[in-house]
Amino acid sequence: MQTAYFPGCSLKTIDRAYDVSTRVIAQDLGMTLVDVEDYSCCGAGELKGEGLKSHFLPARNLAHLINQGETEVMVSCNVCYHELSRTAYAVKQGGVHLDQIQSMLKAADEPQILEQPTVRNTLEYLVNVIGLDEIAKRVRVPLTGLRVAPYYGCLYQRPAKMLSSVQIAGEDTEHPHFMHDLMAALGATVVEHRAETTCCGGKNLLSDEKISGRLTGRILSTAKSSGADVLALMCPKCAGGLDALQFRAIGTVGESAQLPVMYYTQLIGIAFGHRPEELHVGDMESDAMGLIRQFLSEPAIR
Amino acid sequence: MAKGSGIIERSLLQDDQIMEEDNLVMDGIDISGRWNTMLKTRVHSERDLDSWDDVRASAIGESIDNCIQCGMCTAGCTVAHEVPGFNPRQFIYWVRVGRKDDLIKNADIIWRCVGCYICTNHCPKEVNTAEVIESIGQWLRKQVPEKMDQAYLANHEAYRHQLETYGRLSLPRLQAEFLSKLGRQKELFGPDLRQAAIRMLKDGRALKTLLIGRPRHWNRSRSVLMESGQT
Repeated sequence: MQTAYFPGCSLKTIDRAYDVSTRVIAQDLGMTLVDVEDYSCCGAGELKGEGLKSHFLPARNLAHLINQGETEVMVSCNVCYHELSRTAYAVKQGGVHLDQIQSMLKAADEPQILEQPTVRNTLEYLVNVIGLDEIAKRVRVPLTGLRVAPYYGCLYQRPAKMLSSVQIAGEDTEHPHFMHDLMAALGATVVEHRAETTCCGGKNLLSDEKISGRLTGRILSTAKSSGADVLALMCPKCAGGLDALQFRAIGTVGESAQLPVMYYTQLIGIAFGHRPEELHVGDMESDAMGLIRQFLSEPAIR
Repeated sequence: MAKGSGIIERSLLQDDQIMEEDNLVMDGIDISGRWNTMLKTRVHSERDLDSWDDVRASAIGESIDNCIQCGMCTAGCTVAHEVPGFNPRQFIYWVRVGRKDDLIKNADIIWRCVGCYICTNHCPKEVNTAEVIESIGQWLRKQVPEKMDQAYLANHEAYRHQLETYGRLSLPRLQAEFLSKLGRQKELFGPDLRQAAIRMLKDGRALKTLLIGRPRHWNRSRSVLMESGQT
């Protein structure tokens, strides 16, 4: 099965762990990922203040997608997912905004958006298109005994009206559960921690250290005190605050915020029998590698 | 006791809106204590509707007129619980009644929106609140750039510059530009980030960020991004 895929800047560079693990499990599941050609940044939310111009970069990527003969694209990064969905929604609304988007594309000598693009999130795609049964069939190393706290962040389910995860797949916008279902299918113990959709403050990660430290600290300590061994992520921006800058969260709320953090795709990869090195588990700044090595070496506790 | 400590949602009010006297007698009756907390009467003498015109004319702010001031946005807001005075419902109110002075007084607060879209999701009237607040923030940035937080401006300018120049984001390069704009480039080699930087050099991620490249014909797209006037 051929699937168009948009990795984005972050996954191409420092968050390669998310990209590589997405590709590894996609291959296991019989998907052929075709990258959107000549990608540009999605704008990362930073151009929103400039109104319609904020649609230019996502529209450029969507136009390339359509030009490749695809109308549906799978996106792992939640920020790209949100930005591309937001523009696909503007395309769907049509009218003056769409005309202006098309004329910006024309001015840049880029192809027009000739069909309605559909933007899908990898998590939702795995659960709904591939199916939990199919995923469960491939599990070689069940995650039995591993207590996983799913963390969705914001942009996977908000704003609901723009996103296919809610509109097409029927995800619950207040209490999303696809990652819960997926982790349960891998044999993991799913930890409910009530911070699943709490914002990590990622937009102001650099500019507002105090708030970012408090928000990330609260998420990590809530998950930890609920008994989690690991927080499962789906957004590289969240990874910035919860993993790479976890020291800031620990500095704000103390040791209770020290928790291994991994992408959910890495956990699927482990369950499919891949080595942690193959999935770049060591790229995580938190001690995810230590946790996974311990988990794999002690079959007794499973 | 702190001023106005008996007020529910005290964090949404500013100190100078609250009046409290140690001894207060009104019409011969002593009302010191719990009953002497009052809010200043608000008198609208000058309305400056600049902000309203600007926000509703922008592509991201046009839904502002749907607002019925119900407060669902603020009830769920991530930042309202963290930053005293951060109150999206009130920001929209100020814009619509033309309270430019109040908006400007809060120029350093409004930008702290984290864009989590809880407000947009909760709004019963289809206001895209998160983007309306962004639009108000942009209006303030044009009106009173000098009042904006330095870190906020540096963050925005660094993102803008990286996007314009390369069309793709390299996060280490972004962070370096952000810190050097604030004269804090030393932190790049400080104890907090050094370890991560060394690991990225060793495992090849640093090289990947350098080789991220530009999209084809980026110059043309860049000139579209640089064009001014479009909102």
